[in-house]
Amino acid sequence: MTETTTAPAVSGAATATEVDVRIEDDATPLVRLIGRTLRDSARAGHALQALRKPAATVAIRSHETPQAATIAFTGGVVEVSSGVPVEPDATITVDLNARFAPAGAPSGDAELAADALLALSPPVPDWRTAAEHFWTAARSVPGIPDVLIAVTEGPEGLEQVVLGEGTTHYLIAGAPETLAGVFSGADDLLAVLSTGVLGIQGTLSQLSVMVGASWKVRYDV
Amino acid sequence: MSELTRSAKGVDTPDATNRTVRIEATNHDGSFLGKTLTPKKFASGVDSGFAFADLLFGLDLGNAPAFGFAYPDWRGHLDDVYFRPDMSTLVEWEPGLDAVIGDYWLKDGTPVPLCPRNLTKKMVDRLSSLGFTATVAVEIEATVFEESIHQARARGYRDLTPLGGSAGTAYHLAKSKDWTGYMNAVADRLYAVGIEWEAWSDEDAAGQIEINLAPGDPITVCDAWARTRQIMREVAFDLGHTVTFMAKPTAGYGQASHINLSLQRDGVNAFYAEEGPSEAMRHAVGGLLATIEGNTSIVLPQITSYRRLVDLSGPPVTATWGVSNKTTAIRAVCGHPSYSRLEYRVPGADANLYLALAGVLAGVVAGLERKIEPPEPVSEMAWCMPPGEITRLPDTITKAAAALEADPVLRDLLGADFVDYWVGSRRWEWMQFHTAGGDPFSELSEWESARYFELP
Repeated sequence: MTETTTAPAVSGAATATEVDVRIEDDATPLVRLIGRTLRDSARAGHALQALRKPAATVAIRSHETPQAATIAFTGGVVEVSSGVPVEPDATITVDLNARFAPAGAPSGDAELAADALLALSPPVPDWRTAAEHFWTAARSVPGIPDVLIAVTEGPEGLEQVVLGEGTTHYLIAGAPETLAGVFSGADDLLAVLSTGVLGIQGTLSQLSVMVGASWKVRYDV
Repeated sequence: MSELTRSAKGVDTPDATNRTVRIEATNHDGSFLGKTLTPKKFASGVDSGFAFADLLFGLDLGNAPAFGFAYPDWRGHLDDVYFRPDMSTLVEWEPGLDAVIGDYWLKDGTPVPLCPRNLTKKMVDRLSSLGFTATVAVEIEATVFEESIHQARARGYRDLTPLGGSAGTAYHLAKSKDWTGYMNAVADRLYAVGIEWEAWSDEDAAGQIEINLAPGDPITVCDAWARTRQIMREVAFDLGHTVTFMAKPTAGYGQASHINLSLQRDGVNAFYAEEGPSEAMRHAVGGLLATIEGNTSIVLPQITSYRRLVDLSGPPVTATWGVSNKTTAIRAVCGHPSYSRLEYRVPGADANLYLALAGVLAGVVAGLERKIEPPEPVSEMAWCMPPGEITRLPDTITKAAAALEADPVLRDLLGADFVDYWVGSRRWEWMQFHTAGGDPFSELSEWESARYFELP
């Protein structure tokens, strides 16, 4: 369960910003989440100074489960692996369902911890852009509905985005920031659903598929 | 011993003097599920079937619906599937209770694609179309603890006391009376319900036993496997102990469920040849090896299943076969028409035997139909071999799921509906383990004990 082989990053955008984010083979969900988030940061040109740190290791631990991962910065190459096999320079315990929000004071190098948290908080795109990104990624998931309808309440009343064409529809409704979080992968679909701030309309099978689609954007599975 | 079967009783319905009838079948994870019915209710559904929410195939072992993949047509908004009893399996389970095993069907009369017993039947029929019948045998391994199930639950199924002392030597006869008492009680119950067994013995780990059921046709043996595990649980409950079929109930020894298989054609063992493996055996091995990586997902179904795959510890770790070589995944036993057979050594004790056997028979069918020649047998030790010398089995639930998803042979023979659903449910299991409390860095996490000790 703890293979450490590394594989090259998939993201071409990362290359463009001279930050190469790599995750190990058969990576855990946490490693995938961190890797995807850091790639989003690199793609957005966010926290580049932190991403290009010359040599430092940061441990990320979940505040409520045993999930743990190590980020190794080596001058533009960022490797993410599961577990914390060696003493890191900094350790941060975070809430993984709150976009890496710290669940306590970090230990070790405080400045490094702050930089890592900054790198793990890329800007979330607006809900329309996020929906389009989600739809692009989700189209390859078997069983995905033909049409995604995202609905929100704007300053001038209801606003919606309709993506795709066909006979099977799926509707997701929520506040703009809620939609943006789910569609960008920053937030977990099932976790957000359980809070009651998101409305959905579709079949049970479609919900199952949408969860798979949310894994795709959140974990790059 | 009770008069048990329909033919023995000469009746189509349960004994009228009995109070209730239990209908039984496994779900995909191998849990033995059912309902207890009045005789009147049972009689009303013998032909039409009994409705079960399709969620019986949708809930994971933590009682949450598995998400992340498209449900096939037969899964709707918790719609019903229909259990139809196989009356040849009717037994008197205990005074006042009859029991019957069955399969799950759709309204239109087609089998539920995920139904384990129907999948085995499908492969038996496919084998029959080639002119072969199969005889199989299974080894059931389990660990028994002194504590009652209530004590075990209170402790989170950890730090329990192995029944029969701390000695963990195979075949040890110096066992305390409580250990032999447990197995004698199990044997009595097997006799009572008509399940043939051949042997039981002390296994490698403290508290661990192995029981060997009599060889038979695949469906009969699978039914006996399901009921034997139920009996082992019930006897443990009665005696104030607890038993588990986890792949690794402790951080130490694992537990297997080896499948032994021979083929007959015109009443003759098709695996026997004077010079060694027969052509049929070679092709069976070829098919089994061609599908072994995908089948690993089916025979090692849970997170803990993969903790067994440690070099030198007993289980196979490579996609290999050999003659009289138990370090390989498939052991060929040759030399006599009465015992020439293959032993498929990958399955863990947590495998659903119906599904495991369906996968194994699919490999055999593929080998026979396509005349697949196997690579050279491995005569050396198949553990700790240099990288690149040999293909290693998938060693995580995700790698195995990916192998099954990509296996065109198993997809063809077992059906895309089954493969896609199974793969989706394994990915859900992986996600649940990592995000809901499992610890991949411990030898055996508390999450795994809570999830797998009692179920499946």
